[in-house]
Amino acid sequence: MTHYGMVIDTEKCVGCHVCALACKLENNLPDDVWWNRILTDNGGEMDFDMVGGTYPDNLQFGYIPMSCQHCENPACVKVCPVGATYKDPETGVVRQDYEKCIGCRMCMSACPYTGVRSFNWEEPKYHMDYATGSKDVPEHQKHTVEKCTFCYHRTSQGVEPACMHLCIGRARFWGDLDDPNSEVSKMVASRSYKQLLPEEGTKPSVYYLV
Amino acid sequence: MTENVSTAGAVKAPAAKKGGAGLNIAIGVSAVITIIGLVLWFMQISGGMIQTAMRNFDSWGLYITSFMFFVGLSAGGLIISSVPKAFGIKGFGGISKVAVMTSIACTCAAIGLVVVDLGQPMRVWELFVYSNLGSPLMWDIIVLATYLILSCVYLWAQIQGEKGKVSHTALRVISVIALVCAILVHSVTAWIFGLQQSHEMWHTALLAPWFVSSALVCGTALVIATVIGLRAAGYLKLDQAYLVKLAKLLAVFLLVDLYFFGCDLLTEAFPAGSGLAVVDMLVSGPLAPFFWVEIIGCAAAAVICLVPQLRTNPLLVVASLLAIAGIFCKRVQLLVGGFQIANIMDPGALTQYSVTNWEGNMAQAYSGIVYWPTPLEFGVTLGVVALGFLIFFLGLKFLPLKPADEN
Repeated sequence: MTHYGMVIDTEKCVGCHVCALACKLENNLPDDVWWNRILTDNGGEMDFDMVGGTYPDNLQFGYIPMSCQHCENPACVKVCPVGATYKDPETGVVRQDYEKCIGCRMCMSACPYTGVRSFNWEEPKYHMDYATGSKDVPEHQKHTVEKCTFCYHRTSQGVEPACMHLCIGRARFWGDLDDPNSEVSKMVASRSYKQLLPEEGTKPSVYYLV
Repeated sequence: MTENVSTAGAVKAPAAKKGGAGLNIAIGVSAVITIIGLVLWFMQISGGMIQTAMRNFDSWGLYITSFMFFVGLSAGGLIISSVPKAFGIKGFGGISKVAVMTSIACTCAAIGLVVVDLGQPMRVWELFVYSNLGSPLMWDIIVLATYLILSCVYLWAQIQGEKGKVSHTALRVISVIALVCAILVHSVTAWIFGLQQSHEMWHTALLAPWFVSSALVCGTALVIATVIGLRAAGYLKLDQAYLVKLAKLLAVFLLVDLYFFGCDLLTEAFPAGSGLAVVDMLVSGPLAPFFWVEIIGCAAAAVICLVPQLRTNPLLVVASLLAIAGIFCKRVQLLVGGFQIANIMDPGALTQYSVTNWEGNMAQAYSGIVYWPTPLEFGVTLGVVALGFLIFFLGLKFLPLKPADEN
């Protein structure tokens, strides 16, 4: 079985937000929609891009790029009444079918990772009058839920996701977590890592090297 | 509910066979409000749900709050009328059919409230074609539909039973099935929330029994208020002893509901961990007004129902309304509160789609009540509620709901 996952080396992330932008362009995201967001890891203080802790010895600062965690045990898939959100049997990627989504937003409520799922609250608007990114990206629809697709249109062709492609610090890695010889498996095996909200039991497929 | 009492009260007693002019006016008014609601709903679909106050970080609002509330309200009627029949004990006089009618009306309103919450209502058919039977939402749709059909069958069987066409045993069997289904419908509605590990406030095994107790509170209260209203309007006669019985029952349900709330608060707060934030939010945080209205309202209602000197008709109506308002406040606490405490507080990027007050940072966005409905949402909700009233009034007009001895 193939199980696509992502490893993000937080030691290398400089918080440039280019992966967020790469995602937005590749997937032609509507205005004000961000599937990939860069959280500031400063010990719980909610100031964006600000250092947390106390000066001078106890400072904390880092970045957590966050998008759908493509969980092995996804809370969203279980609750979708029509199967519009589902786990791809080939790759383990959690996918979303815009054509099927009835807009009940049960998945948004069930997902523990606040804000990775995004609802189009109105007809999608775009800054540019032409679509950007891949032609294989499905069209965004009003009143449906969407989220990171793990760049399914790329990864299913064996191409790395857009966020990884443009990462200036080369902090992102993509591969098959079920293959012990893959780059990602070796990194997870050899480095110390953390995962987001492991206590929720969702088994996320995104690993953050620390 | 206030509308029901006042309009029903406006019916000039003694009412004519079909309910008189007052009932016709009530039907007209609720039909007009329903149509206004439909127009507003159409505006919501065409202009986008951005016109509501729901956003990505608080993705459900007044519609789902009211949905929970109306599912609860629908319980009382069915349980009040089926329990005596199912267990073969003395009932509450002739109100059984009226009580089931309130159930049917509330269930229709509840279903309507889910429909207006959907982003893609034209895709509702998918629920029956692509059903994911593992989803609690799917369970609820199945149970709710069964419940509505059963309520209608039960009402029909009672009417036929009075004509001698349905045997007493058959009626008893139907009432047992209806009772089981009523308990299920509240449990399943609770599981939509209670099975989500992502919201600490919701994720408790107590939620299902608690939903049943809350449903019993507001359902019984609805029956009391309706019956007093209909009696004042001359629609039916009822011995005061039955009302006293109902009031005592309401008091018991209120105390059980408050007891469950106490258990839940203690369990959340005692470890002084993350659950403390939930208790703080309810007791002294942004949701405190709803918390205290519920606690004080329900306690006061219980006192009115328990003290014989206070059990006068006007005070019983007050107690019923307090109980209903209290349970509505509980629904608000549960729904808004569930989204108020995010698992990951740093939003990364705040946009107009994240939260309604997104212009500052997350702490500012969450400092007040994160969600407050827009006028459009109030309008659409009012429209659906009016639909419930319309169904109830039409039932009063066209169905033989009066106690048998009166017909």
